[in-house]
Amino acid sequence: MNKVQENSTENTVSDRRAFFKKTAAISTVAAAAVVAPQNLLASEDDHAIMHHPAWGQKLGDPVTANLYGMPSKYEHNNTRRNTPLLASGNWQASIAVTPIHESCGIITPNGLFFSRCHGGTAQIDPNEFRLMIHGELEKDIVLTYDQLRRYPSVTRTHFIECPANGGQEWRATQFNSVQFAKGFMASAEWTGVYIKDILKDLGLKKETALWMLAEGSDNSEMGRTIPIDKVLDDAMLVWGQNGEALRPEQGYPVRLLVPGWEGNLCVKWLKRLEFASEPFYCKEETAKYTALRKDGKAIQHFYANEVNSTVTSPSPEKPWTDLKDGDLVEIEGLAWSGMGTITGVDFSLDGGRNYVEAQLKGLVLPKSWTRWSFMHTYKKGQVLQLTSRAMDDAGYIQPTVDQEVGQLGVEGVYHRNAVETWEVTKDGKVNHVQIRS
Amino acid sequence: MFKLDRKLIASASVIAVAALFAVGCGGGSAAPKGSTSINGKPTIDGGTIYPVENGMTGPYAVNETAHDGGFTYGRKPTQNEIDAWNKDVMPDGTGLPEGSGSVEEGEELYEAQCVMCHGDFGSGASGTAGGYPALSKGNAVEMQKTLTNQRSGANKDGDGPARAFGSYWPQTSTLWWYIQSGMPHPNTKSLSNDETYALTAYILSVNEIVIDGVEVDDEYVLDREKFLKIKLPNEDGFVPNIDGPGALDDVRKFYANAKEFGAQNLNQGAVRCMKDCQKSTAKTVYVTNGGIADFNPPMSVVRDMPKEEGPFDPVAAYEASCAACHAGFLSPGSSDWAGYTGKGIKAVYKNGINGTEGGMPAKGGSSLSDAEFKLVVDYLIKG
Repeated sequence: MNKVQENSTENTVSDRRAFFKKTAAISTVAAAAVVAPQNLLASEDDHAIMHHPAWGQKLGDPVTANLYGMPSKYEHNNTRRNTPLLASGNWQASIAVTPIHESCGIITPNGLFFSRCHGGTAQIDPNEFRLMIHGELEKDIVLTYDQLRRYPSVTRTHFIECPANGGQEWRATQFNSVQFAKGFMASAEWTGVYIKDILKDLGLKKETALWMLAEGSDNSEMGRTIPIDKVLDDAMLVWGQNGEALRPEQGYPVRLLVPGWEGNLCVKWLKRLEFASEPFYCKEETAKYTALRKDGKAIQHFYANEVNSTVTSPSPEKPWTDLKDGDLVEIEGLAWSGMGTITGVDFSLDGGRNYVEAQLKGLVLPKSWTRWSFMHTYKKGQVLQLTSRAMDDAGYIQPTVDQEVGQLGVEGVYHRNAVETWEVTKDGKVNHVQIRS
Repeated sequence: MFKLDRKLIASASVIAVAALFAVGCGGGSAAPKGSTSINGKPTIDGGTIYPVENGMTGPYAVNETAHDGGFTYGRKPTQNEIDAWNKDVMPDGTGLPEGSGSVEEGEELYEAQCVMCHGDFGSGASGTAGGYPALSKGNAVEMQKTLTNQRSGANKDGDGPARAFGSYWPQTSTLWWYIQSGMPHPNTKSLSNDETYALTAYILSVNEIVIDGVEVDDEYVLDREKFLKIKLPNEDGFVPNIDGPGALDDVRKFYANAKEFGAQNLNQGAVRCMKDCQKSTAKTVYVTNGGIADFNPPMSVVRDMPKEEGPFDPVAAYEASCAACHAGFLSPGSSDWAGYTGKGIKAVYKNGINGTEGGMPAKGGSSLSDAEFKLVVDYLIKG
């Protein structure tokens, strides 16, 4: 994303936008009041219990009603969201981010998976899908969609993260929202074929096939160069997402998946793989997705999303304004690393001054979202600063804000993985903060 | 016998790998652990890989007989098919066709097809959402010197680094390739080779690039031979090295050193601090002035019935389908529409629905019905 950290230029495109801005401004103030979950009064009979609701007396919908099921209409606010700051002029070169404050477990429903495109979401006819694999091979090949799906499949759970996740906050926090501060990512169970399995029959020329171009068939022909090491390790061509076909926003019918690496490397709407002895210098690996260090050198070919974590509950969106003094409450979060498997999460109630170990829970998988948990007894009026710090099996540990900025400066945009801190105010609201010297 | 051997090898390597790590997985899982090296070399990204051991890769079981190859699907592409799709242009000129175009021709094309988004002289422009990218921030050599600018400390509110094609990109091949494959944004893959040379020449000129001692001025004609002599000021501004036969080793070496990319690694001297970890000068930085909160839809976690969908909203349709071009060119209510409505509104509808040679895609590429599209046209003209 270009223009991050710059406020988008004011213009007068429409009253509708102005309307959004006004509502948004109001909602940041009003949210906590509106949001507070229901608490029942002790002495009164609850109407919800004392009457027969319509759904319990009348016939429900027939099985023919929703042959492809949709969420309850009451869940309409659990949705992707976008904002003009994260757009390059229009909504076709933009991102809509995942509501991780509402996420459960380590799988994102397909309709909530974050969506990033450089020329709009392509709507592809799978009957006209062709994958061309050529270049430094003994044998070039063209495959149809059905032929590609004949290869033996593998199924893996991996997150995909845009390397600009959190990239608007190098200089200071800008989003009082976990959806926008950390929601440029989502996780799914992917099904596809290892590229190395296809290559076994194509005669890869070892001396000259050092790089692979992956190119999309969308409006922007989004392309990226992948080093052969990754191609021969775990790079996949995937068609399945959580048990069904990829959604158009995720590259239907086929995308590249390079587990743990930058989301934009997982080229969507794939059409071509070319092997060559030199890298391709695609637009999205020179103009964008390069991280400028304070020494003036920019990191190009920045592959893996480093170890990272955040608290997801409580959040500015879903604070603790309803808790009573003495309530036992779970603090929950996500940890992930594109460089391996999460080995532990340290947790702090005082903004990273002192840490204790949090508990991992559920499946702990390589290059995957991993849930962590910490039980806390809520003390009304107490101000807390919740900080999490994850580690992975390659030895990486999240840096402090000072450490990361000290090494890289503040202009890099991409790959910011310093610890995040969420302040709980004395009345239970939650603010996104940074602790820095 | 084979199985036994494999188990022995697997367990030996597990021990070897475990010894590498300061932090282990804990709790003796049966799943094989990973490694941060392969064939004696560090992994390409500095991370862990999980080779198949004893029928497992990490926690996943593997049908090893499925991964030996032997498949005969698909067919060999024809040379025409490869030529149709193999359009990439590499820094050494691989893929760059013969052709030529002048700065003057490029400017004419730019004014007709690009300026509505990229602004006068490539200065960038605002769009429906955010700003369209600038193609130049001024003299490329001078602007390249700003890449060490940091908006922090004494320069907190000062100028940041000026990142645009001339000052930041390493290669012009990227520009040529992208113009031809990805531009103009609403109608890509529509420019000829000569037109692409002309636009490239124009963008080089607004960045004040000098090729082989000659400034790219209005008279300049760019061709393949001159193109291959272009050297941009920031060509050497990138790490790690990715060129030449030793590139992959350079990349491995780069990512084996956490300091190069701002990471902390416990195997490379980083400390897992548990007590008194912040400096006494540490302070809390808050989101100022409410931060960025113009979210669509507005942030809410209320569980209620959604509002009923209202009637067709031409403004929303404009934003989704038209604003990519019409935010800056024939924008809603623009007086420029007077030059297009002289033949009556029906002619405007017809041109919009069918598209024009001037660059208007049919219905703007949208899937609106004719009736809906006409409402959007009405909005565009009246504002």
